[in-house]
Amino acid sequence: MKATQLYQAPSHAWLMFGRDEGKPEKIIDTNQYLVKGTGQAVLLDPGGTELFSPMLAAILQHIKLEELTTLFASHQDPDIISSLGLWDKALPDATLHAPWLWEGFIRHFGMNNIKYQGIKDEGGDIRLNDISLKLIPAHYLHSSGNFHVYDPLAKILMSGDVGAALEKTNAPIFVDDFAAHVKHMEYFHRRWMPSNRAKANWIARVRELDIDIMAPQHGRLFKGEAVAEFLEWFAKLDVGIAS
Amino acid sequence: MSDDNIVDSFIRVARIIANLDAILAEAKNLSLTAKNARVVALRAGDSASGFKPITNFIDEFSEQTIKTTTHISTLSNQLFKIALEAVRSTQFDMHVDNAATLTSTSQVVALQHRAKQERQYQTKKLEIALQDLESFFEEINKQMRSAEYIAVTSRVEASNAGEFSDSLQSVSDFIATAAKTIKQSVTVNLNEIHTLRGALH
Repeated sequence: MKATQLYQAPSHAWLMFGRDEGKPEKIIDTNQYLVKGTGQAVLLDPGGTELFSPMLAAILQHIKLEELTTLFASHQDPDIISSLGLWDKALPDATLHAPWLWEGFIRHFGMNNIKYQGIKDEGGDIRLNDISLKLIPAHYLHSSGNFHVYDPLAKILMSGDVGAALEKTNAPIFVDDFAAHVKHMEYFHRRWMPSNRAKANWIARVRELDIDIMAPQHGRLFKGEAVAEFLEWFAKLDVGIAS
Repeated sequence: MSDDNIVDSFIRVARIIANLDAILAEAKNLSLTAKNARVVALRAGDSASGFKPITNFIDEFSEQTIKTTTHISTLSNQLFKIALEAVRSTQFDMHVDNAATLTSTSQVVALQHRAKQERQYQTKKLEIALQDLESFFEEINKQMRSAEYIAVTSRVEASNAGEFSDSLQSVSDFIATAAKTIKQSVTVNLNEIHTLRGALH
């Protein structure tokens, strides 16, 4: 599991885990994000069951297990959170922040120890010791109860499935040529994003944020100008089309 | 327990529960038969006087069988939950072992130790639940041996019941068949339990 540091400050750091070479061939490649604060850390979209071992090994290179006090699931899908039943056994005292709408579904992955903190539709925040991460509503993009995570200090938006691209595990970490990258994203966004209205609502909300890095759960990350390029492209894209 | 064994164990638990339904249905039929036999014996009057106490026996053991089977049904449902925990702790143990091949921090070693303890605890719990279930099935087997004895006795009494002889004879036949069916289901379940327990070691 490859680890890439996205941000480093005295208060906290952002690490991205992904491009797992040991990943079984037919499952989708995913990006996991660890925000490491002082004595506390949050794992954003921890990933599927089959990723648990490499994720556990990768995380222990950076933090102690007790420091992982918080998990976040942007929505209910298996590639996001099916590892929950295993984290539940590894973390004796942790909290999962996830949309309130999906509690009854997410619990099917197995949850005896971890506490479920349902996120209200309007959003909220995740507080670690010295920092606060904003939970940005992204409903219907692509799940009916869905959130992204924005860090105002690091200026990073973890954008879940928005900005996702279906690529091989050896793809670079950042988008270097936006026009060339579109072909990896287009079908995914047309098919997995069901509503133009929801999309416009999300774009308006996100345009108000100061973003250096937009970090989706699949594929490459957008940095600097590529963020604005993505928002412009996405605004024009007609979504919710199956054919 | 390997991954294949885990799935196998779940299938075995499901088979046990499906078999239980068959036993319960047969026990309910026995209860109904006892009631019908009592009516026939009453009509037959003095000619079937020897049959009357037999209907009481049939009634008692069918009630007892229903009670035991219902209790086993509760135990079996608990068994699913216990088996699920055993599966999850086994998978967790395997995943942590896998993580230990990727990193050798002291935390992974500690986690490995914890995972193995948890797995042993859950396996033991499953083993105890299976033992309980086994003893209840043996209890049903005893009840069915009594039923077979009653079937033989009732055949003798039925032959003395004149025009009601055929009706009471069919009651005796039904008891014998039901007891045999239940015993067969119990044997299948005991075999399943035996294999399940073997897979835990």
